[in-house]
Amino acid sequence: MITRCPLESRLRSTTLAVAAALLLPLAIPAAAHRIEKHYPVAGRPVVTVHNAHGRIEVRSWKKPEVVVVGSHASNKVEVDTEQAGNRIEVTTHVLAENVTPAELQADYSLTVPEESELQVRTDSGSVLVERVYGDMTFDTVAADLQFQDVYGYLVIKTIGGSVLCTRCAGRIDVNSISGNVQLLQPQMDNVRVQTSSGNILFDGDFLRRGIYILKNYSGLIEVRFSDTDSFDLSATTGQQGKVENEAKLKPDPHGQRHLPSRFAKGLFGTVNEGHAKVELASFSGTIKIRRRD
Amino acid sequence: MQCQEFEQVFEQQEAAPLPADAAAHLGACGQCRAMVSDLEAIQAAARGMAAAQVEPPERLWVSLRAQLASEGIIREPAEAVHTAGWLSGWLAGVPRPALAGAYLAFVLAAAGLIAVQSNLRRVEMSRSTPAPTATAALDSQLTTVERRTISAMRQNNPVVNDSLRKNLDIVDNFIAMCEKDVREEPQNDVAREYLYGAYQQKAELLAMMVERGASGD
Repeated sequence: MITRCPLESRLRSTTLAVAAALLLPLAIPAAAHRIEKHYPVAGRPVVTVHNAHGRIEVRSWKKPEVVVVGSHASNKVEVDTEQAGNRIEVTTHVLAENVTPAELQADYSLTVPEESELQVRTDSGSVLVERVYGDMTFDTVAADLQFQDVYGYLVIKTIGGSVLCTRCAGRIDVNSISGNVQLLQPQMDNVRVQTSSGNILFDGDFLRRGIYILKNYSGLIEVRFSDTDSFDLSATTGQQGKVENEAKLKPDPHGQRHLPSRFAKGLFGTVNEGHAKVELASFSGTIKIRRRD
Repeated sequence: MQCQEFEQVFEQQEAAPLPADAAAHLGACGQCRAMVSDLEAIQAAARGMAAAQVEPPERLWVSLRAQLASEGIIREPAEAVHTAGWLSGWLAGVPRPALAGAYLAFVLAAAGLIAVQSNLRRVEMSRSTPAPTATAALDSQLTTVERRTISAMRQNNPVVNDSLRKNLDIVDNFIAMCEKDVREEPQNDVAREYLYGAYQQKAELLAMMVERGASGD
């Protein structure tokens, strides 16, 4: 039988307690304040998030419940959430002036029903939305936005943040000044993107009856089409712009006459039957119409 | 008298002369003088536009009204107001002089559109139209609003400040580029169209700067 000296036992437990106290701050370095709220909902909830700076992630599940997990490190911001029926609001309040970006940071992870509507306003940081199928609006200054497998009507207003949309379906309306916009493998029948100096990439199918309007002042507009795509094309730039085209265009079979300004360089024509409408315009940038490999 | 109190008195006075204490505050406070000057510029722009008897496009009216209403700059939609009276209707509803900068930006954007459109019409009628002077005045007014907006910015986040300023520079560059093309070739309808878009973008950006600067969140 082993007997342990009482002094040795006390020393051991003291050592363990000190070690635990030292290690605890390392275990939760950035989340000195953490909230977790569960809101039962019915039908399609409308979830609104107002944040100043930080990461916002929204994912869906099949449960009729919205879960909000928020964390922030500083005492200079506080998180406020409320539910009014099917409306959930999440707001970060800034409690002091002269706050550094680190102190301003609040991160959110939301889990919402698939059909939820989202309204997100954040100044900087990043936003990720996955597999949400309701309509969404985003208003941001510098936050980068990323969407995967979303469906609905996306309205995005960003000053300088980038937009990356992968396998998005439905409609999208993007307005930016310097943000780059990339739509990869989209299944969208109504696309309107306008950015001043940002680049625009559309790499996907032009759906029948779809309308695709991409416009910038400078920068690159690139669309990639497949041989089976069917669209009417209009690509115009100002005098300093450039158009590079790999599509075999034939005259518009629908009888529409194109009268380009003498101050523009224009390219008009039809690929296959011209079911979709593709309008590309740049003042001084480059437009590339590329065949997809 | 404090600035907030002055704003309340100023709002209530409408066209009547200011009480002595408010006038004294106005004489001593640069910020309130700038605010009053903004509102006078709005009134001047409104009078000029009403006198010109130019019908603004319906879509512009609808989008501006919706934007102003959503931001709480106007209290109630002036449904019956149109043509010459549409700006006066807005002016009557301006509740917060602090937002005058944003409001002025929208007014100037509307003025820009109207100036550009009327110039375009003239170009269509006669290919020998001289370079527009209306946009020069508009540009200078927008620059004034821009200066005041930037000086009034109270944003905590330097990332946001940098982004707003950088993007304002980008829009200003486009405006300069388009204006140069229009000056050199007054019939250049492509440059005019992009110039209008750039003015509208600048007005929206200034409005956002006021909103973000004021809210700080």
